[in-house]
Amino acid sequence: MGHEALPATKSHPADDRGPITSKRQRRPSGQPPPLPRELGASGRFWIGSLLALLAFTILLLVTTVGASIDRQESVFLRWIAEGRTGWLNRAMLTVNGLGSTAVTRTLRLGTIIALIGFRRWRHLVVLVISLLLVAWLTGKIGQFFIRPRPFGVRIIGGWDGSSLPSRPVAELSVALIGIMYTLLPRGGLRSAAKFIAAVLLGALAAAELYLGLNHPADIVFALVLGIGIPLVAFRLFVPNAVFPVHYGKGRAAHLDVRGARGEAIRQAVHDQLGMTVLDVKPVGLAGSGGSTPLRLTVVGDPDHHLFAKLYAKTHLRADRSYKLGRTILYGTLEDEKSYNSVRRLVQYEDYMMLVMHDFGIPCAKTYGFVEITPEREYLLVNEFFEGGTEITEAEVDDALIDDALATIRRMWDLGVAHRDVKPANIMVRDGKIMLIDLAFGEIRPSPWRQAVDLANMMLVLALRTDPDRVYQRALRFFAPEEIAEAFAATRRVTMPSQSRTMLKRHRKEGRDILARFRELAPKHPPIAIQRWSVQRIGLTLIVLLGMLLALLLVIDNLRTGAL
Amino acid sequence: MARLALAVMAASLLSGCARLQDSAVPLCPGPDRNSASLFLMAQAVPSAAYVPCVSEFPAGWTFGGQRIRNAHSEFWMDSDRAGSRAVTVVLTRDCDTSRAVVVPQEAGEPPMKRFEEPNALPPTLSGNRYYVFPGGCITYRFSFAPGATFAQAVEASQALTFVSRALGVTVLAREGQLLCGRGVRCPG
Repeated sequence: MGHEALPATKSHPADDRGPITSKRQRRPSGQPPPLPRELGASGRFWIGSLLALLAFTILLLVTTVGASIDRQESVFLRWIAEGRTGWLNRAMLTVNGLGSTAVTRTLRLGTIIALIGFRRWRHLVVLVISLLLVAWLTGKIGQFFIRPRPFGVRIIGGWDGSSLPSRPVAELSVALIGIMYTLLPRGGLRSAAKFIAAVLLGALAAAELYLGLNHPADIVFALVLGIGIPLVAFRLFVPNAVFPVHYGKGRAAHLDVRGARGEAIRQAVHDQLGMTVLDVKPVGLAGSGGSTPLRLTVVGDPDHHLFAKLYAKTHLRADRSYKLGRTILYGTLEDEKSYNSVRRLVQYEDYMMLVMHDFGIPCAKTYGFVEITPEREYLLVNEFFEGGTEITEAEVDDALIDDALATIRRMWDLGVAHRDVKPANIMVRDGKIMLIDLAFGEIRPSPWRQAVDLANMMLVLALRTDPDRVYQRALRFFAPEEIAEAFAATRRVTMPSQSRTMLKRHRKEGRDILARFRELAPKHPPIAIQRWSVQRIGLTLIVLLGMLLALLLVIDNLRTGAL
Repeated sequence: MARLALAVMAASLLSGCARLQDSAVPLCPGPDRNSASLFLMAQAVPSAAYVPCVSEFPAGWTFGGQRIRNAHSEFWMDSDRAGSRAVTVVLTRDCDTSRAVVVPQEAGEPPMKRFEEPNALPPTLSGNRYYVFPGGCITYRFSFAPGATFAQAVEASQALTFVSRALGVTVLAREGQLLCGRGVRCPG
């Protein structure tokens, strides 16, 4: 969706039957998007294997094919057992130790502790769920499908429970896959680990067959469960393209724009906006947690920069969690609702930019947004403020204060609100302010929210100057009662965290800016914003219950050895 | 047609699930009974001449669960009056009967020594019963909830019985398989 006028196109008279040409290219139906959601060949293979396993299980349930398989497997195992020798028995018993609870549990807990240490929470959650799911499935299949250990051969070594599926193989598989996909960066190291894992699993499988502990089918079942489930889970829920495993700096919310995603961005901007991207560079990552901000260099005369924000499903989830946390802590703010899709979020911000721009509010011009992966990733492209600086680094004089306050006044009069007025969202260029990040903007906001916008703007200006001066300038645009209302509506929850942190620093130095504003303004009773509701109480109880259940689940699984 | 196929599939699956449920319960051999867990118990203690099994569950008694591993297997039964895990049946190679007293066998029981080791009388009845036989020992551990009586112990005892390894060997031989252990030597 682009807003810039289309490049020169052919006219479209009634007698012209030729195609209208454009630099923009429509993606034909059925063609993959710039960055297709890829499970990879191995992901597809393991999904196929899991489905085949399910089909085979149903076959075993409804037919008597199992008896025939039993006999064939016994013949094979007897053939192996006839070749047993003393030294090989000892060697195989040692190899069989790879599947012991001590080894697999050490690997599992070691990985979990490492992930906690690296604060890789998403990987941790997927790993723990995979471990529990594999343990549960292995247990349930073993419970329902009680299968004796191999007949016709002397069993050497310890065993526990049904032969199907092989629990040691399943446990070692899930532990090794967990290490590979949560701790090892993609590339040479992970490839080497895959080879080592294959060798270890092959050795354990061989030992189990040699010792007569399991049938071949038990091992195949265990491998499919132990590899397939975690691998598919990691590919689906923490894909490397979105959540790469790396050991450098960088916030989790920011996506890696190198490699396939970088190429996809170039292709998407070219095809959907008709612009040729020369370079994609992350900028201002420190001030943004809700998206991945980028600077695009595009071909032009001369080449120029565009600002772009990459939104992904992960940002949407972060937004939901943030709002859930706020609802529990403070109650539902009257105008805070979560978005239900990334597309909606980007569409909304794009629309707000168009509206604000049309209203004459100083903000970046939007060029529209492009689809990277349908319903998962979108890139919002807009004007880049060449030569612009954040207000914290700009010179703030009376003219700039007036400009900022006049902007708020205009927004009041037009019936719009920014809702996230903080230093990082106020840029200054040529002595004028420009508002950025309109994702939270609103048309026809509540009077309370408009009042909060004013208070937040005055606080930002006072951080760079002093409250008395800002108050005096504000009286040129607002009545004293309106300013009083603004500060009566201001609470900790209404102030962006960046402003809060800076105010705290000033307070420590003996300058309480907020208190000073309240002294200057006429007295106004505080405006209540925190609301107790059935929803808030219910949510709090659900979250507490969920945490308690999760804790009990972990304790129980630690006790039973599933973790 | 599709609905019919779906119904047939669902019915097949449900009947299959029922069969699977049975496979976990160590029911004594009989028509339409799955003996998988009995074979697994026999493999757990290859020297044992007998394996414990449940002939029928008396009213109010249900299968609780089982754990079968090499050298040790056990299953337990729950009762609506005697509580959960009211009786645990354990099969091991041998057992300590030093604190128990020998009691005469009941009619119809296989040739084996029976010992009783009462620990507590009602209202919280608990105690052990041992059946010692060549190559193995079966222990019944009674641990009743308060309020249960000897009647429940009698019910449980009547539900439990034994199946000989020799029978298992014969059944498997018909399927072309060997049950290794007592009396049957296997390769390796």
